[in-house]
Amino acid sequence: MAKKPKQPLKAPKAVPAYDREKAGHGVLRRTTFIMVFCGILLFIPLFARLFKLMVLEHDQYESRAISNQTRSTTVSADRGTIYDCNMNILASTKTVENVFIDPWEIHNAKEDVDFIAEGLAKILEIDPDTIREKAAKLERRYEIIARKREPEQADAVRSFISENKLTGIHLESDSMRYYPSGSTAAQVIGFTNAENRGGEGLEAYYDEVLQGTAGAVITTKGNYETQMLYSYEKYYNASDGNSLVLTIDTTVQLYLEKNLKAAIEKYDVKNGAFGIMMDVNTGAILGMAIEGSYDPNHYLEIMDLSVLAELDKLSEEMADYSKESEQYKDLAKQYNSLEASARLKQWRNRCVSDGYEPGSTFKTITLAAALEEQAVDLNTTFYCSGAKDYRDRESTLHCWKETGHGYETLPKALQNSCNIAFADIGILLGGSKLYDYINALGLMEKTGVDMAGETTGVFHSREKLMENAQLTTVAFGQSVKPTPIQMVRAISAVVNGGYVLKPYVVSEILDENGTVIQKNGKTVLRQAISAETSKLMCSLIESVVTDGTASNAKLPGFRVGGKTGTSEKLDVYENGVQTKDRIVSFVGIAPMDHPQYICLVALDSPSRETGIYVSGGVMAAPVVRDIFADTLLYLGVQPDYTDVDMSTVNVLMPDVRDQDEESAAALLQAQSLTYTTVGSGEIVSGQIPAPGEQLPGNSKVILYLGAPVPTDEVTVPNLKNLTPDEAKGVMENSGLYLQTKGSYRYYSVVTDQDYAPGETVPRGTTVTVELTDQTALD
Amino acid sequence: MALFKHKRMEAGKPLREDTTGLMDVPFLLLVVLLTLIGLLMLFSASYARANWEKQGDSAYYFRRQVYFAVGGLAAMLLAGRVSYFIWYRSALLVLSVSIGLLALVPLIGVEVNGAKRWLKLGVLFQPSELVKVGMIFAFAAMMSAWQHKMDTFRYGVLPYAAILALVAGLLYLERHLSATMIIFLIGAVMMLLGGTKKRWLFFGAMIGVAFLTIYIMKKGYAGGRFSAWLDPEADQLDTGYQIIQSKYAIGSGGLLGLGLGRSRQKYLYLPEEVNDYIFAIVCEELGFVGAVGILLLFALLVLRGYWIAIHARDRFGTLVAGGLTTKLALQVFLNVSVVSGLIPPTGISLPFFSSGGTALLLQLFEMGIVLSVSRWCTNKEISGRSHA
Repeated sequence: MAKKPKQPLKAPKAVPAYDREKAGHGVLRRTTFIMVFCGILLFIPLFARLFKLMVLEHDQYESRAISNQTRSTTVSADRGTIYDCNMNILASTKTVENVFIDPWEIHNAKEDVDFIAEGLAKILEIDPDTIREKAAKLERRYEIIARKREPEQADAVRSFISENKLTGIHLESDSMRYYPSGSTAAQVIGFTNAENRGGEGLEAYYDEVLQGTAGAVITTKGNYETQMLYSYEKYYNASDGNSLVLTIDTTVQLYLEKNLKAAIEKYDVKNGAFGIMMDVNTGAILGMAIEGSYDPNHYLEIMDLSVLAELDKLSEEMADYSKESEQYKDLAKQYNSLEASARLKQWRNRCVSDGYEPGSTFKTITLAAALEEQAVDLNTTFYCSGAKDYRDRESTLHCWKETGHGYETLPKALQNSCNIAFADIGILLGGSKLYDYINALGLMEKTGVDMAGETTGVFHSREKLMENAQLTTVAFGQSVKPTPIQMVRAISAVVNGGYVLKPYVVSEILDENGTVIQKNGKTVLRQAISAETSKLMCSLIESVVTDGTASNAKLPGFRVGGKTGTSEKLDVYENGVQTKDRIVSFVGIAPMDHPQYICLVALDSPSRETGIYVSGGVMAAPVVRDIFADTLLYLGVQPDYTDVDMSTVNVLMPDVRDQDEESAAALLQAQSLTYTTVGSGEIVSGQIPAPGEQLPGNSKVILYLGAPVPTDEVTVPNLKNLTPDEAKGVMENSGLYLQTKGSYRYYSVVTDQDYAPGETVPRGTTVTVELTDQTALD
Repeated sequence: MALFKHKRMEAGKPLREDTTGLMDVPFLLLVVLLTLIGLLMLFSASYARANWEKQGDSAYYFRRQVYFAVGGLAAMLLAGRVSYFIWYRSALLVLSVSIGLLALVPLIGVEVNGAKRWLKLGVLFQPSELVKVGMIFAFAAMMSAWQHKMDTFRYGVLPYAAILALVAGLLYLERHLSATMIIFLIGAVMMLLGGTKKRWLFFGAMIGVAFLTIYIMKKGYAGGRFSAWLDPEADQLDTGYQIIQSKYAIGSGGLLGLGLGRSRQKYLYLPEEVNDYIFAIVCEELGFVGAVGILLLFALLVLRGYWIAIHARDRFGTLVAGGLTTKLALQVFLNVSVVSGLIPPTGISLPFFSSGGTALLLQLFEMGIVLSVSRWCTNKEISGRSHA
């Protein structure tokens, strides 16, 4: 090869006769061929290819190119507010910040990871090691260090960054749900989770409504985040979530909760309590309380002290084992499941999600059905010997009063809450008919209340109910298990003219500008009983308070009606043995002339060791009475004292000092007070009680006409177990006034007093006692 | 038009009795037009990268290219004025020197983008580009000298095959597949033009295909490129990235394009957008209409180049002009095919457009030689009217 190429080197000289002739035909023909090939044919596939990519597939590549070149930043929408019926805020959103690091950036900037970890850990109150771990993930660009921190902490992080000129630590804004009134109506309102989505309660049920739509900013960006010369930006506005206005009245709710808490403490209730207050004519829920509750601001924290103690014990035990050991794993499993179940329990809205044993409160249903069907009338008479056998019923039916109620008319049977009379009524009515009314009153269907997790009650089938064994039991309120909201709605229908309503808790939905976009109101589903029967039921239910087992619910000035209930919890076992745990309840309605509000209170498993008889009449009725006492005036129900013994109502002591006796007497009479005088002056120089004090009507006050007013204090006597008359005598001797609440019957006894025995108080102080009818054993 | 006039040939040299015509005006205009469009598009395409790499000096690539374009146009006019016969006489010298430089690459070459294909002798250039020109000169010279023996193996096949084998061996050391392919294609076309027996060309083509197949199957990185070309979506972030980004740019251009300067893919999404992939940015900004227009200009230039070859005064002129035009046509075809994903990716720049000063200068110089051939064309339409 070395030789051959060398030859042409000499060629120019060797061929001096360079052929200047034009190239021959063959060359020209071949050149023409190549010309066509390279100048035309080669370009055709290029045109075709470009046509395919740029014209035919243009849309596809354009959209993919745009998604390649654009960055989208979300603009979060504010979640709507939840208001109570008076526009008090129950849940709102506040802006917080997340702190995150960019490990890649930190690494590239050669920042001191330890310094950053220690500094951030101190500000954010977290473990510096977790920051180190996250900073070690060098390929990551986004590692959250702390979520939802308040502005103060965020500012501290910012100054930490700027003071030390650090890179790789960033903050982003986030939003956090805030519940100003803490645990108030917690199970109704619910909470939002870390992702700001509704987790429980109304927050979950109305999540879509409250959520709003996040917006976005779409910007073209060069690779490596460079700026484009011709960039474009597109905004999609965020629309904030809608707000809810609830029918819940915080005032009512707080009283409901206060009185439930007091009852739990007083009766040592083991398994919590719940209460519902509803407008019987519209179905609007004014209050719904479930104790043990939780704080939705810290919904993961367990509030049940006994569970907390157990958890502490478990974690102490766990500390004894190594993390790898089987024992540790077992204990950790126990710990986690206990914690999880305690959380689920405290979040659960028992009023709509669980059935309960209504006991004798269910008798109102049986009676309404029987009256409507004219199976009985007011003159129907029953005989109760304390026990009765029924055909096809294996066990003998016992009334709660072992000695029996004897002969009793229908009203008396209800007032006595007589089981045997109601078993008889059941048979007179028939199982199929009873089933129809249970169904018509909405106890077998969900109420449709706008709350998450509603379930329906447990009842026998029509065929089962037609057998005597079941019929005689159901008729007096055993072996049924409606949900509290179903029961409240059914009894509302009994007293409101027969209308079965759809209860509701959200009255209005507001858009982000506060404009009402949806209004909820009364929804009548059907009429289950006639207005006449309903009216009759009202008077019967009122008589239970005036003359029956619910006398402890009496509230002077207001016509309160209601029905007590006490039921053994049949399905609760402890170590394989059925417990004697009871659920005691009371359904109260007021005012009975024009029923407006219904209040159900149930106490789950009060202790049998407080010395107080465990029954709805003794325990639950006073709670409802106190709730009514706290709320009826507030709700605008006018008291009527005309037929009331004024001594059961407190009046205001007027200021009669510096008046002559005559005008003082007139002022006192206006408050239905009488007086005696001490001294012989013309002008009143002093008075007991002092002006502005509350004291029972009809009381005798002391006016001092020039004589000195005694300023010594007196000791409060022990009034426990005294009858009203005995107590009154004791108090008069002490120079104190006695006010009573509850069942003012000659055989009632004092079970509680607001000033403890032995306490010293000024002369003329009013001591209020709780009178309890101890015979109200149902 | 005196500027283009050749006063007189040197005494005693061939062609001396010939009068010269003007340079071919259409060819000249097309070259100047493509050079100007190329500069404009380079400015647009390199804007973002220059900004990014050169701290805001957005005209960095453009400025350098302008210097070389001015130098290149001067070189073109100079080459156009000089009798192309000097390339007949110096053909083997040029080839030997360029092969010598190519042989230096593995020893003292400079690495750019991971490939050692460059020499730095004052300026940075690729000896393989020089070899292409030297080879065209040498083939044309030998074929015209031995024009009556072209049907023999000894004069019609062996010398060229030997040169091609030597060059291919050196390029193999550089792992420079695309240059090897172009050199073989140019060689084959020239042998076809020069009169080598077709059966030998066919035989050579078989060997070439066999080598290419083995190469693609054996070579890891070329193999990766090959599968990425077949299915770029399979590995979007790595091997398929460039193909996909190029298609995004071309496809989003549509019929009329985003407008001059408005490419988005040039913002560092598309790699090599200043060099081999500049045509994708052209498509994105000028659309199908603009891209086809530019390809038509190239096609016209190629056609005119062959037209000059056909009308050349002598066989050497025909072969030189034909060879250089073939080189241009192949570069354009292969570049656009790669950019649009028609063939597997391989590094071929687009004449007049891609960044690279020495390449542009050399390209314009080559165009000057074609213009030189055009001055002695026999056709009256070229030289006739303003014949001196």
